[in-house]
Amino acid sequence: MRHPQTGGMSPFNRRDLLRSAGVIAFAGAAATTAGTLPAHAAAATTTAGFRHGVASGDPLPSSVLLWTRITPTPDAAPGSGVGPDVTVSWEVAEDSGFLRMAARGSVRTGPARDHTVKVIPGGLKPGAAYWYRFSASGVTSATGRTRTAPAAGAAVDRLRMGVVSCSNWQAGYFSAYRYLADRGDLDVVLHLGDYLYEYAPGEYQARDVVVRPHDPAVEMTTLSHYRRRHAQYKTDLDLQALHAAVPFVVTWDDHEFANDAWSGGAENHTEGAEGTWATRRDASKQAYAEWMPVRFEPGGHIYRRFEFGTLASISMLDLRTYRSRQASSVVDPAIGSPARTLTGDAQMDWLLGGFSSPATQWKLIGNPVMISPVRFPSTLSAQEVGAVEQLLGTTTIDGVPYNVDQWDGYTADRSRVISHLRDNAITDAVFLTGDIHSGWACDVPADPLTYPSNGASVAAELVCTSVTSDNLDDILGTPPRTSSVAVEEAFKGANPHVKYLDFDSHGFSVLEVTPGALRMDWYVLSERTNRAATSTLSTSWRVAAGTQAVSRVL
Amino acid sequence: MNVDQPPSPAGFPAADRRQFLRLAAAGGASVLLSVAAGTALPAPARAAAATAPGPRTRVYVLVVDGCRPDEITSALTPRLAALRGAGTNFPAARSLPVMETIPNHVMMMTGVRPDRSGVPANSVYDRAEAVVRDLDRPTDLRFPTLLDRLRDEGFSTGSVLSKRYLFGIFGERATYRWEPSPLLPVTGHAPDKFTMDALIAMVDGVDPDFVFTNLGDVDRVGHSDVSGTTLQAARTAALADTDDQVGRFVDHLVAAGTWQSSVLIVLADHSMDWSIPSNVISVDQILSGRADLREQIAIAQNGGADLLSWTGPLRARDAGLADVRGLVAAHPGVLSVSDPGDLRLGPEAGDLVAFCRAGWRFSDPYIASNPIPGNHGHPATEPIPFFVAGGSPRVSTGVSSQPARTIDVAPTVGALFGLAAPAGGYDGTARADAFTV
Repeated sequence: MRHPQTGGMSPFNRRDLLRSAGVIAFAGAAATTAGTLPAHAAAATTTAGFRHGVASGDPLPSSVLLWTRITPTPDAAPGSGVGPDVTVSWEVAEDSGFLRMAARGSVRTGPARDHTVKVIPGGLKPGAAYWYRFSASGVTSATGRTRTAPAAGAAVDRLRMGVVSCSNWQAGYFSAYRYLADRGDLDVVLHLGDYLYEYAPGEYQARDVVVRPHDPAVEMTTLSHYRRRHAQYKTDLDLQALHAAVPFVVTWDDHEFANDAWSGGAENHTEGAEGTWATRRDASKQAYAEWMPVRFEPGGHIYRRFEFGTLASISMLDLRTYRSRQASSVVDPAIGSPARTLTGDAQMDWLLGGFSSPATQWKLIGNPVMISPVRFPSTLSAQEVGAVEQLLGTTTIDGVPYNVDQWDGYTADRSRVISHLRDNAITDAVFLTGDIHSGWACDVPADPLTYPSNGASVAAELVCTSVTSDNLDDILGTPPRTSSVAVEEAFKGANPHVKYLDFDSHGFSVLEVTPGALRMDWYVLSERTNRAATSTLSTSWRVAAGTQAVSRVL
Repeated sequence: MNVDQPPSPAGFPAADRRQFLRLAAAGGASVLLSVAAGTALPAPARAAAATAPGPRTRVYVLVVDGCRPDEITSALTPRLAALRGAGTNFPAARSLPVMETIPNHVMMMTGVRPDRSGVPANSVYDRAEAVVRDLDRPTDLRFPTLLDRLRDEGFSTGSVLSKRYLFGIFGERATYRWEPSPLLPVTGHAPDKFTMDALIAMVDGVDPDFVFTNLGDVDRVGHSDVSGTTLQAARTAALADTDDQVGRFVDHLVAAGTWQSSVLIVLADHSMDWSIPSNVISVDQILSGRADLREQIAIAQNGGADLLSWTGPLRARDAGLADVRGLVAAHPGVLSVSDPGDLRLGPEAGDLVAFCRAGWRFSDPYIASNPIPGNHGHPATEPIPFFVAGGSPRVSTGVSSQPARTIDVAPTVGALFGLAAPAGGYDGTARADAFTV
C-alpha cells in the first residue's frame, strides 16, 4: 500500500504558522521572533531553511546538546543523500534577545549526516536557562530555550519533568507535546521510547483510521527510510514546540528499530527479505543519532546517567541492543535462565553501581519496558484476553498469557536488580516506564509471593501512557472507560502491588521530584484524532521519600 | 538534689575519684548520676555561660536504637512523626559499616571513621588477648568525643545510655553520666521508661548543654521478635511505647520553658532486618570441611556481618585468606566479602568482613549461636531515620536530599556550639541544611 504523500515535509498551512508563532513566543523569545519567522515560512518556499525545528537535550551542569537540521537546497530532502556541505553557525545566550552571549561557533554538516547538526556548547553555568539559535546562508532558525542541570552536589528543591512515550504519527496528533510545551515549568522532558514507529500506512494506526499517513509509505528498513521517518516526525509543530521549549532526555524502545527488537532481530523483521538485522539496526541507530538531541553516536551506547544536584539521578536504559531473544512462551524455561539477559552484563553492572551512589537521593530509571511482575487474571473473557495480549505484546501458549517482551520474560535479570535493591537497602529508586500504552502506578515487590502479607516493596514503578498509540478500548473497539474498567479491576485483583491502572487513556505525565516526595500526574487527552484535543488531569500518585511505595494523591 | 557517696553499682568498674549525684526522678524515685571529678556540686545553673556567644542552645541527641525510617509514621509513632515534620528530615540518611550499635554511636560522638577511632564493630577478635570480645572498654575508644571535647571548652555534657556496653565504652567522658539501671537480663539494657526518667532527671537537675541518649527498647525487642518477618507484633508495641517516652521528654522541655532553646537530633544507629530460621550462615560450618583453615580463623559475629581474623602462621596467611574468601563468598546468603580497609574499618576489624544478604543472618562460632530473628550489621540495615527538631529558632523546617550519616552528628552538634574540628578533621559533614543561617 502506497500513500500519495511521499515528500519529507507536509506544507505548513496558515494555522500551523500562527501556532508556530505562538510557540516561539512561549519559548521566551517573543521580542525577537520576528526575525525567526521567515525561517518557518521558508518551509513552504524553495530557499534554505531550518524546517525541522530546533531541539536540545542531555543537560549537564556545564553543557547541553543542541540540535537542528538545515535544508540548504530544495533537493536536499531528508534521506535523499543529496545536497551540498554547509556551515551552520550557532549561538547560545543568557537572554532571549541574544544580548548576553554565552557561546557561539559554527559546524559543518552535509549529506553524510543527512544535514543534521549537533553541537555541545561547554562552559555554561549550572542550573541556568539559555536561549539558542542556528543560522546558515542568511537564514536564522527558530529560537529554542534550554536549561543546564544543577551543579553536582547542589541542593535542589524541585525538579519537574514531562514524561512521555509511544507517539505514533499515524494514530493521531501530538497534543500531549503541545500541552507540555505550553506549561513553561518543566526542567526536562523524558521520552521513554517509541518516539517514532516503523510501520507503513495501514499497518498500525488509530484503530482502523490512518489519521496521518507515514512517510515514506513503506515500513522503514533502510537508512533512507529511517531518516525520512525521523524527518517527518520532526515536522510536527507540537513536537517542534516542545523540543524548542525544553531539553529532552531520551532512550529508545523497539519501534525506533522494529517491533519487539532484540539483539539479533525483531518480531517485525524478516531476515533476508528486509536485509540483515545488523544492517537494519545500524541504519536505525545512525538515523537516531543524526536526528535526536542525544549524546549518542553510532558505535557508542545510549545508556547513560544524568544528575540533578543531590536531588535525583536519571539512568536511561537501553533494553533492546543487548537483550536475548524473547522466550517463546510462559512454559519456556528460558524465561528464568541466567544465561539470558535483558540489559547485557556491562549495562547491568553500570545500573546496579549507580543505585549505590550516595551522590543523589532519588534514583530514577528511564525504563523502556515494565519491571513490575504482571500476572494475568484468570477471569477475563477470551476477547479481553486477546485484546490485552495485543496491547501488551503478549504471547499466549495454552491459554496462559505472559509478557515475554518485558522484564517478566527475563526473570534472572530482574532478580539481579531486585536483590541488589533489597540487599543493599537502596531507597528512593523509581522506575519510569513507557511501552505499554497505559498508565500504571505500582510497588515493585521484594517478593511477589509475600507482598500481599507484608507489603515489602523495593521500588516504585510509574508508567506513562501513550501519546497516541492504541490501547485497550481501541483494541476492544469500545468507548473509553467502559469495558476496560472491569479488566483493570481484574488485573489489580490479581496483582495487589498494582495500585493504579488505566488501560484506555492517551496523554502525558508530569513528574515532580522534591526531597520529601515524588509525585506523578497523569493527564489524559479528550481525543487523540482531534488536533484540538483538550487535556484533563486524571489522577496523581506519590512516593514519599524512604517508602518505596506508591500512594494516591488525587 | 543531693550529693552522695554511693556504693559502686555492681558490675561496673569501681569508681575511684568519681563523685555521685542523686537526683529526684518521676514518681518519687531517684536517679543516680556519676559526675566528672572537679565538677562543682551542686551544678551551677549555667555551666558554660561564660564561653557561649549569644543565647544558650541546649542540644539533645536521641538515638532510637535500631529504628527503621519507615517505622516512623503518624499512626504508629505520632510524636516522632510530628518532630520530623516540624524539623528538617534527611530521608537519604544511612548508618555506616559495620552497621552495629557501638561503632555507630562512636561515629556519632567522634565524627570519624572506625579506622581513626579504633571501634569498627560490636564484637571483634582482640589479637593481644587472643579472644573475641565486645568493644565495651573506655580504652577501646581512641579518639576524643563530643562528650569530652565540649567539656574541655567549658560546656557541660551528659550521657544517658541504656545499654551496658555503651556505658562501658563511653565511660566517664561526659560531665554527667547515668549508669543504666535496672538492667534487664539477657538484653543488658535498661527499659526506655527508666532511661527517660534518667534523662529528665539529669536535665532538671543539672541541665547539661549537651546530652547523648540511647533508647534501647526498639532494638532489643526487634532482635527477639519472632514475628519480625511478618507481624512484628512486639516491635510495633515497643515503637509506640518509645514514641510515648520521646513525647514525654518534649512535653517536659515545654513545661520547663527550655523547649525554645532546645535542638533535638533524632536518629538511629542502624535499622533492623528479620530472617527466617533457615536463612542462617555459619562460617564455622562453611569451613567445616577445611579444618586447616577453620583452625586458623577467629570469627567475631556481628549479626549481619562476620569479622574474620587469620590467627595462623604468617606464611600461610594470604593463601589461607584467599581460600576463606572464596568459600564464604560462594554461600548463597553472603552478599559480599570485603577488606576492612575498603570499608575504613581499621585493623581491629580483622582480615575479612563478610556481609549477608537481606533476610539472612550470621551465626558463629556455632550454627546455634545466634538464634535471634532480628539482626543488623549488613547493608540491608543501613537506612536510618535522621532528623533535626526542637523549639530553637536555629532549627529550620524542611526535607534535605543530603546524604546524612551517623558520622555527621559530631560535626553538626560541634557547629552549634562553635566547637573546632578535632585534630585531623572530621570524616563527617555538618548538616547545615537543618539550621537557619
